Amino acid sequence: MTEQGAEMTLEATAISKAFPGVQALDGVSLSLKSGEIHALVGENGAGKSTLIKIITGLYPQDAGTLRMLGEEVEFHDPRGSIEAGIGMVPQERSLIPEFSVGENILIERMPLRGSVFVDYDTINREAAHWLEVMELDIPVTRHASRLSAAEMQLVEIVRALALESRVLLLDEPTASITPHEAAHLFEILRSLRDRGVALLLVTHKLEEVFELCDRVTVLRDGKNVASAEPLEGLTRDQLVTWMIGRSSQDTDLPARPARSEQAALEVRDIDTIDGVEGASLDVFPGEIVGFYGLVGAGRTELAHAIIGASEITGGSILVNGQEARIGSVAEALGRYRIGYVSEDRKGDGLFLAKDIIFNVSVPLWRRLAGRLGWVSDATERAIATRHVEELDVRTPSLDQLVGNLSGGNQQKVSIAKWLAAEADILIFDEPTIGIDIKTKEALHELIWELAESGKAVLLISSDMPEMVRLADRIFVMKAGRIVAEIENSRIYDEISEEIMKDLA
Amino acid sequence: MNQEATLGRGRRTLSRLTEYSWAGLAAILLVLVVIMSVVSDSFLSDFNLFVIFRSVATAVLIGAAQMTVLSIGQMNLSVGAIGGLVAITTGGIMDAFGLPVWLSIVGGLAAGAACGAFNGIIVAKTGINSFIVTIATASVFLGLNLGLTSAQPFYDLDPGFTAFGQARLAFFPLMGFITITTMIGLAVFFYRTLVGRQILAVGGNVSAAETAGIPVGRRIIWAHVISGLLAGAAGMLWASQLGAAQPMIGQSWLLISFAVPIIGGVALTGGSVRIIGLFLAALIIALINNSLVHLGVDPLYVELLLGLLILGTVWASHVATKSGTPQRTLR
Repeated sequence: MTEQGAEMTLEATAISKAFPGVQALDGVSLSLKSGEIHALVGENGAGKSTLIKIITGLYPQDAGTLRMLGEEVEFHDPRGSIEAGIGMVPQERSLIPEFSVGENILIERMPLRGSVFVDYDTINREAAHWLEVMELDIPVTRHASRLSAAEMQLVEIVRALALESRVLLLDEPTASITPHEAAHLFEILRSLRDRGVALLLVTHKLEEVFELCDRVTVLRDGKNVASAEPLEGLTRDQLVTWMIGRSSQDTDLPARPARSEQAALEVRDIDTIDGVEGASLDVFPGEIVGFYGLVGAGRTELAHAIIGASEITGGSILVNGQEARIGSVAEALGRYRIGYVSEDRKGDGLFLAKDIIFNVSVPLWRRLAGRLGWVSDATERAIATRHVEELDVRTPSLDQLVGNLSGGNQQKVSIAKWLAAEADILIFDEPTIGIDIKTKEALHELIWELAESGKAVLLISSDMPEMVRLADRIFVMKAGRIVAEIENSRIYDEISEEIMKDLA
Repeated sequence: MNQEATLGRGRRTLSRLTEYSWAGLAAILLVLVVIMSVVSDSFLSDFNLFVIFRSVATAVLIGAAQMTVLSIGQMNLSVGAIGGLVAITTGGIMDAFGLPVWLSIVGGLAAGAACGAFNGIIVAKTGINSFIVTIATASVFLGLNLGLTSAQPFYDLDPGFTAFGQARLAFFPLMGFITITTMIGLAVFFYRTLVGRQILAVGGNVSAAETAGIPVGRRIIWAHVISGLLAGAAGMLWASQLGAAQPMIGQSWLLISFAVPIIGGVALTGGSVRIIGLFLAALIIALINNSLVHLGVDPLYVELLLGLLILGTVWASHVATKSGTPQRTLR
């Protein structure tokens, strides 16, 4: 693990890779030194994932070479990459749900007895050791399916550490963990760096890049814009310019008219079966109400309760002043005009294998359907076209499969869907998670305009800058309870400090 | 993480309890036994219990053959066809070639493994859905069976082989020992061996298994081969019990092969196996079947009632395992 000198641990040179119709990578280079934390940044679709997949042996490259410690290597499968000393913490969940934490940690090289039987004593001992190194208090024998999202992420990192890799790749490792856990993770990453590991951090969070990393490689449209540039002395503006090809314009959002008298949505003392206790909040037409809290605080659970997707055990919900009994998602939309833009775009929000028209018109079918349940193509297309244009979805045609769109455009389609359905109350659950700067900006403007046009917006987000920028008022949730309501002064330091105090 | 812990505690305790889903199955079983022993005098007779346990012995193996493929998130619709082909292979080696029993059994198992490998290789190499692959190979295996036998059974089996199917210690069928031994072996395989764990990993999360360096294709083939062996074992026991290697053995197994693992708590999505659950589920189905006979139900309606009762049992065990967790359609 401790390679002497500053020779390149992993070096990718002039890597190219094409997919049908797309040149994903065009002569890209990346070099990782032992004992550095290297950031790999770029907008969605810049080629980061493709490069990672080549390094981890999932894709073969069309051209270019990979070297480990100066020697040329060729990976035909992930096993080859693991054996060469490359550990990976992927962005998507990669634990085996029915396996114990210990077994998940050691899955790449299960200790065996007599080369056939799995040696659980050794697994539990070794896994416990690695959990201890990470200072994590998770029992090794617990099933992975019983872990929280943050615990899962941490176990995945422990697993990559347990390989004692020379190179450790982390793809958005802090996407689903709390700031406190992230700080802890960074400490561990720094200590790994000091022990000579070469770390590659793929992230959208520029704060992390500046806080943690030594050098940065930037990709744009499948090409290197910057290669292993030292971060010292680099400005945020320069980095953003590399990433998006122009400097970032955090355009000032225009002021909005004062809110009306009657709340569009009022939640009174709601208890839910999955842990929300006595939550109250209200949202007025033309207002953006922020809903902040750590992962697992119960925000999504409350949102699900509001749209009738989970059971309410106490309290009441009022829509436009009238008590609402929302029994199902269909009722939430059809009767009360509440739309929910899911945090889990791929899981809950969209039909990836269907085209845009289909996705936008699903919630409309009931309204559009004529006699005998007939839905006309032309009507569907007209409505979808209007909303897709309104939101500026970048697509060659409306017949494009949603699965082929970028993350930001997928998000726009899922918003278009609720606009088409004429929802008056819109709940956004982590709308910009995993979305690049340019699209994020566009989504912020969009959410702002929706409020301007009179929609009542409830914005669930763990992204503090986003919250401070957009929300008029912020409710803070902790352990299933709403612990504070804050008027947003839009002064970042002041608000973030107040929120952190409420969460403590 | 504290928030998460507070929020999740109640949920976790509940799901801990429901994790032992076989507790619910045992309750269903107990109720059936009590009712039947009150209603019918002959129900608890040694011979009746022997009949029940003998059908459990084969049903568990049939269910295990399906479960092994379900564990990788696939299906095997050719379990019955493999059972039939193995039965006539074993019988044919004894009858037509007059070779000893052990050699016939080895030959039969080899045929079962070969059928499983055929399924597995096609699924793993082409990526075609196992549903359509095995529905087609079921036809292939049955066709091979009928072609080889001209639809005629092999009757001239080794006397020891056929006696074994009738042999019992009081109410306990000797073939039960084969099933129990096999299932202990299967449990050890899935819970303790590298290959078994890797098969479950593939079923639990295929892309994670792939990035963990597990040879996914080979593990898929393994699962199908084991499924073929188990289906073959069931076919041989069936032939031993009938006293003849009937070509039509296995044609009635489809429902049983799915009902046993599903009632037993095996997830259709893959990644899980339930050994005790299989035994309890097979017992429940055997009891339902036996009860219908004892209650004098018109044999022509047995199939109808059996189907409905199995549906009811699947529903009951579904409710029993799900009731603790909140109803949530969105994740």
